[in-house]
Amino acid sequence: MKRVLAYLILATTVVAACGGGNTAATSSPSPTASATATPKPIQVGLVTDVGGLNDKSFNQAANTGRLNAEKDFGLKTSVIESKKQEDYVPNLTTFAQQNYDLVIAVGFLMQNAAWKVAKQFPNVKFAIIDGAPANDAGNTENLPNVANLFFKEQEAGYLVGVIAATMAKNKVGKAIHNTLCSMGGIPIPPVDHYMAGYQDAIKTIDPSATILIGYSNDFVDQQKGKEVGLNHISKNCDILFQVAGGSGLGYIAAAKEKGVYAIGVDVDQIDVAPGTVITSAMKRVDKAVYDSSNAVKSGSFKAGDNFFSATNDGIAYGKLDPIVPADAKAAADKALADIKSGAIKPKTDLTVKP
Amino acid sequence: MPVASVLFALAIGAILVLVSGHDPIGAYIDLFRGAFGSPYDITETLIQTIPLTLAGLSVAVAFRTGLFNIGAESQLLVGAVAAGAVGARFADLPGFLLFPMVLAAGIGAGAAWGAIAGYLKAARGVNEVITTIMQNYIVVFVMHWLLQNGPMTAPNALGTPASAPIGAGAVLPIIIPNELVPLTRLHAGIFLAIAAVAVFWFLLWRTPLGYELRAVGLGARAAAQAGIDPRTRTVLAMAIAGGFAGLAGMIQVTGVFHRVFDGFSSGYGFDAIAVALLGKNSPIGIVLAALLFGAFARGGSLMQANAGVSAQLVSVIEAIVLFVIAAELIVRLLSARRGRKPVEAIA
Repeated sequence: MKRVLAYLILATTVVAACGGGNTAATSSPSPTASATATPKPIQVGLVTDVGGLNDKSFNQAANTGRLNAEKDFGLKTSVIESKKQEDYVPNLTTFAQQNYDLVIAVGFLMQNAAWKVAKQFPNVKFAIIDGAPANDAGNTENLPNVANLFFKEQEAGYLVGVIAATMAKNKVGKAIHNTLCSMGGIPIPPVDHYMAGYQDAIKTIDPSATILIGYSNDFVDQQKGKEVGLNHISKNCDILFQVAGGSGLGYIAAAKEKGVYAIGVDVDQIDVAPGTVITSAMKRVDKAVYDSSNAVKSGSFKAGDNFFSATNDGIAYGKLDPIVPADAKAAADKALADIKSGAIKPKTDLTVKP
Repeated sequence: MPVASVLFALAIGAILVLVSGHDPIGAYIDLFRGAFGSPYDITETLIQTIPLTLAGLSVAVAFRTGLFNIGAESQLLVGAVAAGAVGARFADLPGFLLFPMVLAAGIGAGAAWGAIAGYLKAARGVNEVITTIMQNYIVVFVMHWLLQNGPMTAPNALGTPASAPIGAGAVLPIIIPNELVPLTRLHAGIFLAIAAVAVFWFLLWRTPLGYELRAVGLGARAAAQAGIDPRTRTVLAMAIAGGFAGLAGMIQVTGVFHRVFDGFSSGYGFDAIAVALLGKNSPIGIVLAALLFGAFARGGSLMQANAGVSAQLVSVIEAIVLFVIAAELIVRLLSARRGRKPVEAIA
């Protein structure tokens, strides 16, 4: 009897809840009415991928960009963490139906979700980090209200390639074999761009250097990355550049175990293995979020492909380990200046293939 | 008791919100508005409720038979993979052929996968908790293989390894017109879920098999004395449990995603354990508990967007609910051992 009573209470609460919610929705046509002051501030909503806000990767960087934009441009910003992939559409919709000015989706996994929601809310602007809208058939389809925020990975790869090749050429520390390696997750354009720039820099600085390349065929499994790493090290690799996300952490672990050097990717990974990671090839996701927020405020929002590159500080090399000599840093800074001026155009096609 | 544990968990959650420097009442209002504040939100809450209900039924069938099914997650995934594979392989078939095939594939694969754990328990005495946990890992890694570089991989620009889309005939229709609730994803799977709840009730309380399953659950030795072989009933119970979970996976494929992808795993199978416990393994209880968890899952996003309270708070509240229920079970168990009357309520 007591149980029945309990369910009745639960049921009435839920029913009352539904009813209450409905009247609230009908009585206030604009859900943001209460939160909005006059004049209405620009609202930016960020939807993270499933990694959460403290992933030490894209989500965290994007949130940093959001907070900086809020502070510097006087915007009203919010963030929602996706807990599973099917949350993408409802989370993007949560912002869109509250008439946010810009909704930012972090990561290419949201390409289809962003396409769906952006089509439904043509008056809301959207941006996808590292991706473009993809329709239900799985094909890319640009939309007039969606900015695709891409990065010129080859430029970041080129910068760390300059550092690595300069060190290898001068036989700094443990880099004695002049053999430089890299490992991708799976052969998709953003991954290969990083490695193409890396190889381009090495070949430019020292054509006699040996270059090896491999794939872990995974972005998650550290063990697979480690196997490729151990294999590369057994072939005299001194510096290992990982372009494989979580799987690449295994590649770095192999370098640490065998006492050689590694290069991080996407975000600053110097803290992953101090003394092993000498620098990182970085995409400035925070910058992309910051700039897109500013673009919406200043009315310069551009749909379709937007590239973040050396020119607009969208790519960079990360913090340097003390082992990196001053001449390597100077060479990287010069390369950065040359890429900015257009004197160097890093390749996007791999010179050395597996 | 279930209501008390939810209220207790909400109270603890409120204290946490307060400590983190936010307004608990405002947070809960947003949590509530996020789940039921607009027709769209209600449909999204229901979409979450559907798989939670079905996976909850899966866990509950096993519970009623005295088994602890931790494998609803993998049974759900197996059902999804089977439904996705059949739906894509025979994509050109008309709906009246394709849909029953996909439905049977989803339920059948889940049931077969569940039956394995049941068989190992019945024939070899292997604890089903261990086997079902292990099965979860097996499925996750087999799915990696199938979808990343395996037989189900299909080229696409979705950014994640995924299978080819299922045929149009297998897609569950959206049951509310877009003009009424824009962008709603509420699909006909809700009717399948309601039917499954009815089947669950009818099977357990209106059929001889259900009686036997419950008898085994109440006391396997006593049931054996009465001529009910606990071993066959164990296999059957796990197969039925797997069937419910497989249906959940099949509905996620045909109703929400229309394909299988790497990372499909949603955690529903794990939340379902809490749903079944909170719902006291009864049909209505499971539906209400699933609705509550569905509302939490949906409402959490608005709470985070508006109140700035992390959506993870919802997970904390769910965990406290589970904790209180588990504590109650332990107290009951202990007092039953001492031959005393069980305590009525502790929260």
